[in-house]
Amino acid sequence: MVNVFQKKILMVAVYAAEIMMKNGAEIYRVEDTVTRICNAGRIYNVEVFATPTGIFVSMDSGDEEDQPLTYIKRIHSTGSDLSKISKVNSFSREFSTTDLSVESGMKILEKIDNEEAYPFFVRTLGAAMTCGFFALIFSGTMIDACMAMISGIICYSLADVLRRADVNAFIRSFCCCGLAAFIALSGAFSIPDASYEPVIIGTLMLFVPGAAITNAIRDFLSGDMLSGTARLMEAILTAVGLACGAGVVLKIWAMVGGVAI
Amino acid sequence: MTSTLITQFILATMATCGLSIIFRVPVKKIPVCAIIGGLGWVACQVVMFSGFSITFGCFVGACAVALLSDISSKLLREAATIFIIPGIMPLVPGAGMYRTMLALLHNDMSGFATEGTQTLVAAGAIAVGLLVMGSLLRLVRTVKRKLHPASR
Repeated sequence: MVNVFQKKILMVAVYAAEIMMKNGAEIYRVEDTVTRICNAGRIYNVEVFATPTGIFVSMDSGDEEDQPLTYIKRIHSTGSDLSKISKVNSFSREFSTTDLSVESGMKILEKIDNEEAYPFFVRTLGAAMTCGFFALIFSGTMIDACMAMISGIICYSLADVLRRADVNAFIRSFCCCGLAAFIALSGAFSIPDASYEPVIIGTLMLFVPGAAITNAIRDFLSGDMLSGTARLMEAILTAVGLACGAGVVLKIWAMVGGVAI
Repeated sequence: MTSTLITQFILATMATCGLSIIFRVPVKKIPVCAIIGGLGWVACQVVMFSGFSITFGCFVGACAVALLSDISSKLLREAATIFIIPGIMPLVPGAGMYRTMLALLHNDMSGFATEGTQTLVAAGAIAVGLLVMGSLLRLVRTVKRKLHPASR
């Protein structure tokens, strides 16, 4: 006989873990959240094994008639929405300290999952800001910064479209950086004082795998070697994709246009 | 040099602000993130101006970001990753990656080796900085808990 309450708690815990993992939380935070939610439902025998590609939860309330429940959740897409991590984090705290019902907990989680913190327009502005200022940091002129802003907006939009189409990280960074290089080169050869290097580097900084590196290190730090390695690999693949994308476009431009890059 | 540093600080702060929006940091925490990113970058620049290598600069910058993020996560009761991820971004060697690729494009194998190694080592330095600071903070917390067991 399956305990219905226990099953509902399990669903809430797994859903919370899924949201966190999809948005790039550290492993120990995900495992901690699941344990905390289960403990709040007075189920104390919980084991969680989380990796960036899947979460395994096994629980048993310890009563004689209850059977242990196990749930495996496969994680496919990875994004980086830090506000969702923050919200789920405070949700798990709220869930374990107040007597929130399981149903309303599920509703809150659904709301968190479907909410977009900033509208797309604001995010493209953020991308423009990032690229423009990074172009200035890497010794670009004002013209380069403006070019980088435009290229940032276009490339970020492309990245968003590709993410929605479930394209993998390597191809995504390849396409985005290729497009950035193309925009930078066409700008540099049509506007007299513009140079392409700061524009490419500025746009590249938008897609640099900083989040993956940070998470990999934090996973290593808490002893999750498997996840750390997986995320490090993701970082390397993204970086190679970025370099390849820019490289291929630069090469083609040099071959077709006959200009030395 | 001071004016350069101030300019660099402002530029890095604004860039990190943009990144925080992309990473969807909650609105109230964006200024904190931006300042952490700016300070991390300035720490890296100061070390480089003092004649040390970019590797050591990245190490110090990453340490600064990790420390400041931990302090603000305690003060604002928020997960530390929210501050670390945007804060670390200016330090990530994007320019090194680009130059490595360029050297390969020019068939300049020695340049590729030099730039590639430098980029890898800089990325490694960021990792080591985060690792060292993270372990130190963890140690401090453990010692504190041992000394004052009552106050969590």
